[in-house]
Amino acid sequence: MANTETALKEAMAMIEGAVGVALVDYTSGMALGTIGGGKHLDLNVAAAGNTDVVRAKLRAMEMLGLQDEIEDILITLGGQYHLIRLLKARGGNGLFLYLALDNKRANLAMARHQLRKIEAELEV
Amino acid sequence: MLLRLASERATGALLRDRGTLYLVEGQVVHAESPVAPGIDVMLSATGRLRPDGWTQAIREAGADGAVGRYLVDSGLVSGGELEICHLGALFDAAFFALAPSSGPTRFRYGAAHWIGPVRPVAAEAVERETLRRRALLDRLWAHPETDTAPVVPSPRSARPRTAAPRQRAVLDLADGVRTPADIARALGRPAFHTLIDVRRLAAAGLVETPRPAAAAAPTPPSDVARLMAMSADPDVALLRRLRDALEATL
Repeated sequence: MANTETALKEAMAMIEGAVGVALVDYTSGMALGTIGGGKHLDLNVAAAGNTDVVRAKLRAMEMLGLQDEIEDILITLGGQYHLIRLLKARGGNGLFLYLALDNKRANLAMARHQLRKIEAELEV
Repeated sequence: MLLRLASERATGALLRDRGTLYLVEGQVVHAESPVAPGIDVMLSATGRLRPDGWTQAIREAGADGAVGRYLVDSGLVSGGELEICHLGALFDAAFFALAPSSGPTRFRYGAAHWIGPVRPVAAEAVERETLRRRALLDRLWAHPETDTAPVVPSPRSARPRTAAPRQRAVLDLADGVRTPADIARALGRPAFHTLIDVRRLAAAGLVETPRPAAAAAPTPPSDVARLMAMSADPDVALLRRLRDALEATL
């Protein structure tokens, strides 16, 4: 039964290579909580910007007539991985977890797995 | 005003004509607005909290001002969920409470809200987010009339609807009677989110505000009416040219 701050802290501590993590509302683009980041990565800006990514994908699926849900979205940069995980629980409708990873230190499969666990804890 | 209260670490309620902000030691702890659905609506809409659970919490802990803590301690909702819903409701109500208005602004020192401490937010963050939200709305569709007027699905949109599922829920409730605030309440979503969806739908040409002209077709002044009665055969060609010219300039 984690509150948002502990869940985010846990993500930063547990996930190897985590640079920053945010809990974002994708309709308004507001970050409900952020941790990490820094002068190279403003998480509030990243939160607002990435809502467009999520919305674009949802719209594309709608046009294709895909009756499915997005579990997560992976964006691979030169030096970073950005992982977007949509919260599925009833209370988390319209939220996503946004995780930025340093790709030299990160283990992608492990990070996905841990992010899934953090999502589950947030919604217990 | 809000930032000044924050700098003097004030505790109390900031009352404005479109909502109230509650402060504890200069931090915003809660906000309410008649336009925005309350935290109770949002918690019940997701199905996590039954209405009797909510009334029970108010009865047990309302007098002590610790409803939030009671909800978590009694296992009715989890800490994360309460925080998420509370923050959503807080920023939503604050957006309307802090909207520019000519109405009076008062501060009642010492007033506290019965929800009790959940997660305080810095006044600067609330102020900044409110401004960001206003800019976001204007960027989507710079016609604020869709925020308060009831909207209807546009009859001209014959093309297939490509609204996302969340927007379609809004579209389904747009019946020309409900305002965006009513739609938000019916769906149990924040009012600002509904404004966003409505403006996006309006920008995509899927909804519009009903034409007020039909309701209030004014009767022409008597001399004009007399002229209209005299010329039974209006100059159709002239009217067409006039219409085309108007359309070209608009």
